[in-house]
Amino acid sequence: MNTRALKPFFLWRHLNKLRWVTLSVVFAMLVLLPFVHVYQTYVAAHAYDLLSPEEQRLYDVMEGLTSPFTNDPAEDLDAIKGTTWSGTFFGLQLSDPLAALAQTAAARSLYWPFLLTALIPVVFTIVFGRFFCGWICPATFVYELNTNLAYWLRRAGLRTGQKRFNRKLKYLVLGIGLVLSVVTGSVMVAAIYPPAVIGREIYYVIALGGFGAGTVFYVMTLLFDLLVARRGFCRYLCPGGALYSLLGRYRPFRIRRIVENCNDCAKCNAICEFGLDPLRDNFGQECNNCSACIAICPTDALTFTISPKDQPYQGPGHLGRKYHRLQHQDRQVREEAA
Amino acid sequence: MQRRGFLRQLTLGSGLLAAGTLPYGLARLLAPAAKAEPHTHLRPPGALADDAAFVEACIGCGLCGEVCPPRCIVFHGREGGDQVNTPYINPEQKACILCNKCMEVCPTEALTETPLEKIDMGIAQIDRAACYPWVDRGICGACVSICPLGERAIGFELWNQYRPFVKQGCVGCGLCVEVCPEPSLPIRVVHRSHGTVAEHRV
Repeated sequence: MNTRALKPFFLWRHLNKLRWVTLSVVFAMLVLLPFVHVYQTYVAAHAYDLLSPEEQRLYDVMEGLTSPFTNDPAEDLDAIKGTTWSGTFFGLQLSDPLAALAQTAAARSLYWPFLLTALIPVVFTIVFGRFFCGWICPATFVYELNTNLAYWLRRAGLRTGQKRFNRKLKYLVLGIGLVLSVVTGSVMVAAIYPPAVIGREIYYVIALGGFGAGTVFYVMTLLFDLLVARRGFCRYLCPGGALYSLLGRYRPFRIRRIVENCNDCAKCNAICEFGLDPLRDNFGQECNNCSACIAICPTDALTFTISPKDQPYQGPGHLGRKYHRLQHQDRQVREEAA
Repeated sequence: MQRRGFLRQLTLGSGLLAAGTLPYGLARLLAPAAKAEPHTHLRPPGALADDAAFVEACIGCGLCGEVCPPRCIVFHGREGGDQVNTPYINPEQKACILCNKCMEVCPTEALTETPLEKIDMGIAQIDRAACYPWVDRGICGACVSICPLGERAIGFELWNQYRPFVKQGCVGCGLCVEVCPEPSLPIRVVHRSHGTVAEHRV
């Protein structure tokens, strides 16, 4: 038997660390950009002497951070603006596919310049599936910390929510959101979509000095995750997750189980934030390629692969007890027949 | 038996619908509608003239606020109702400087790029019963000296060089409201159809 072919590429199990880096960077940018904007307003006002001592300290810190990269902060720092909902990145405008869809529904007309800003995210989603949820979403950063908090609370003997609902509920939420957008003529999903909510709330708090309408909602989703269902909002309610799941249904880049290495330990099922079933080759359209299951697998039994579909169930892992029992039974049957 | 199955399906369906609508209802409950004073809730420059169309086009991304040099663009919060997270300017706190950055950055053209003369955020209106020069309580002219449009938008009366009056060229940026020293703010920005320019021209 060729054992070389069965080893997954050695870097795949370290992708989860890279994922935490990207999540942290996105979240840190969301916190930094409002401070950058406040600094820009101070620069534009040409009134350093009129600032209060705290404002002067902010000015000095931001000047130290940005002066290596820019000559004219008031103009040059406009290069990176916005949130993951919609933003500009060195002249490239990027928008959330959900924003494009919901705005089209609310306005009941196609506005191509805006729809084209969602093109790159859509193409990436078609190739990598629901990668936004695991790799970029600033709400995920907090939700995963929340999952860890729930883990430590359980370790301390407290009870946290472990309920399961039907994961198809989020498609209904997406549909209802679009219908409500058409009926009311305002982009309804923007008010309940966690990354949009958290992005703008961070901006409101830092730059405008007050919470908006979304903070209470976001805290309620955190409590829902903690007390009712693990990662409940993303699994069962998030309209964005629903859209990316549909777009990424036939993603070519997906995770596969190597049945020869698997020992049925089910750690992959326990770590999966989205309640999927890697143990039975059942990733489905909702896998976000976060690679947490690859990182935790003790026997290198999960790897990335290029395939438009999941494999059908391959049976119990060859290193597990169930497989050996079955083999034993098979042998007995064969010996009896012979 | 069949009826019972149908009833159960009906219950299940309505329960699912309720669960699916729950997040939107919750978000709406957290931002109940309240009437916004029009003269403290101006739309940013270049906003679509029809406010319903503006709310349809705006996705609440906050980019206009994030590029605004005087940070005058703020957003409807808990009092927003349907307009939650859409931008507005309160000239009594901070007024627009007509720099065009918000129009350039808006991804959905809810704020459309508009030449300076065509901008219509409203029109300034002066309450002659409270403005200092108009009631002969002193000399001022703060609104005239701050106006970025100058002669086109606001000027002094011919026979009393301290009494300001608004002209048709005013675009409603609200800088005059921001600088007005009179605490009761005798100058405010109103919808163009409510302005009384002709009266002032007398």
